[in-house]
Amino acid sequence: MIRRRLAGSVWVVIYVILSALPLLVLLVGETPSGRELWREISVGLGFAGLALIALQFALTGRFRVIKAPFGSDIVYHFHRQISIVAFALILAHPVILFVGAPNNLRLLNVFSAPGRAKLGVLAVVFLLAIIVLSLWRRNLGIEYRLWRVSHGVLATLAIAFALGHVLLVDHYVGTPWKRTLWIIYICGWVGILLWTRILDPVLMLRRPYRIKEVRPERGDTWSVVVEPDGHPGFRFGPGQFAWLSVRNSPFADADHPFSFSSSAECPSIYEFGIRELGDFTRQVKTLRPGEKVYLDGPFGAFSIDRYPDALGYIFIAGGIGITPIISMLRTLADRGDKRPLLLLYANRDPDRIAYYEDLEQLAAKLSLRVVHVLSRSPVHWDGERGRIDTVLLRRYLHDIYEGREVFVCGPDGLIDAVEDHLSDLGLHLRNVHSERFNLV
Amino acid sequence: MRHRLSNLLALGTGALLVALAIIFGLVQSM
Repeated sequence: MIRRRLAGSVWVVIYVILSALPLLVLLVGETPSGRELWREISVGLGFAGLALIALQFALTGRFRVIKAPFGSDIVYHFHRQISIVAFALILAHPVILFVGAPNNLRLLNVFSAPGRAKLGVLAVVFLLAIIVLSLWRRNLGIEYRLWRVSHGVLATLAIAFALGHVLLVDHYVGTPWKRTLWIIYICGWVGILLWTRILDPVLMLRRPYRIKEVRPERGDTWSVVVEPDGHPGFRFGPGQFAWLSVRNSPFADADHPFSFSSSAECPSIYEFGIRELGDFTRQVKTLRPGEKVYLDGPFGAFSIDRYPDALGYIFIAGGIGITPIISMLRTLADRGDKRPLLLLYANRDPDRIAYYEDLEQLAAKLSLRVVHVLSRSPVHWDGERGRIDTVLLRRYLHDIYEGREVFVCGPDGLIDAVEDHLSDLGLHLRNVHSERFNLV
Repeated sequence: MRHRLSNLLALGTGALLVALAIIFGLVQSM
């Protein structure tokens, strides 16, 4: 735990240093002749924003070592938040230039503007397109895969144009060593791009997997069982996830993240619980045994194995958020774990309770109490009704949470509400671990 | 909690970079 926190702190410090480095480098040594303060501040903001945008590729690349201390969902959350900060900094650059000297508006003329200005304008337009398409993808009705490909292409072009803009302006990177440092910076960025787009897919291509079984579960959910094809596969922790690529090459950038639902004690068998919720997941039932697929994993920090000394575990799931939790329960059962476990499992109605029978069996094997909570319960329902709120949590948790770790997985609304309720009950949020679906 | 920390880190990084950009402007314009 201490080592993981230390690793997390080190990565945060490295991130902050790398984001500030371009500006610090420009401040050191010989500086070009001075210009107006507002103009120089606008340039500083532009460089700062560019550094943040370039670092986005490191955040979204599949680097386990970076994501391990935090969890992938939080890294993607940070990616979204910092992209808005970065865009604000970059946008401030031309805005201040135009306000400070309105005649700079001529640089927006695509016919007469110099090449350096055209590149700068293109970079800003592409970044704006990325932000708009990402924030309002669903409202705009853009299919996920099209969005993802456009996201990568637009981001790569935006940075290339921005770097071209910096090098063509040539005011700040004129001295040889500053230019060299910037070229090293660019090489690092290109290296990340090469890893993400070429080397990682090549490694995946060399380690294919095959569908072993596709099995229907309750609630429009399918269990997809996958096994390695000609290699030993990898080990994962209970609660982790992998990127699954189906009927596409790993180069197609068309994989989707799914939590393992199988026991981590069953090596080389990977089972995923997939609910029909979108374009891709609706195709899952058409998969046939023997089909080739690719896996990139494991990822994720949502795992009981990170807290092996807990006196027990409390699981709170909403809908298909049960998937990583069923993996943890199956793993605990395979390990013969005797610690007390509680599962609060929220669903709309009884037909939506995925793994209902499996949970009954696990409850018999483990010291597990399963409490089903239905928001639309039938008349003859002897479980809990409504939603998981403070009253319900107090009823089940008031005297048992001491020394236990709490795992929450489900829609964002459920996680936010449960975290607030648990905080109201006096639980320290460092003992509450969550996993959010909306990675992408 | 992780999300709140993440939001704080994003805002903190942004604030640090704005401060650095102002220092950059002051140094460069001298």
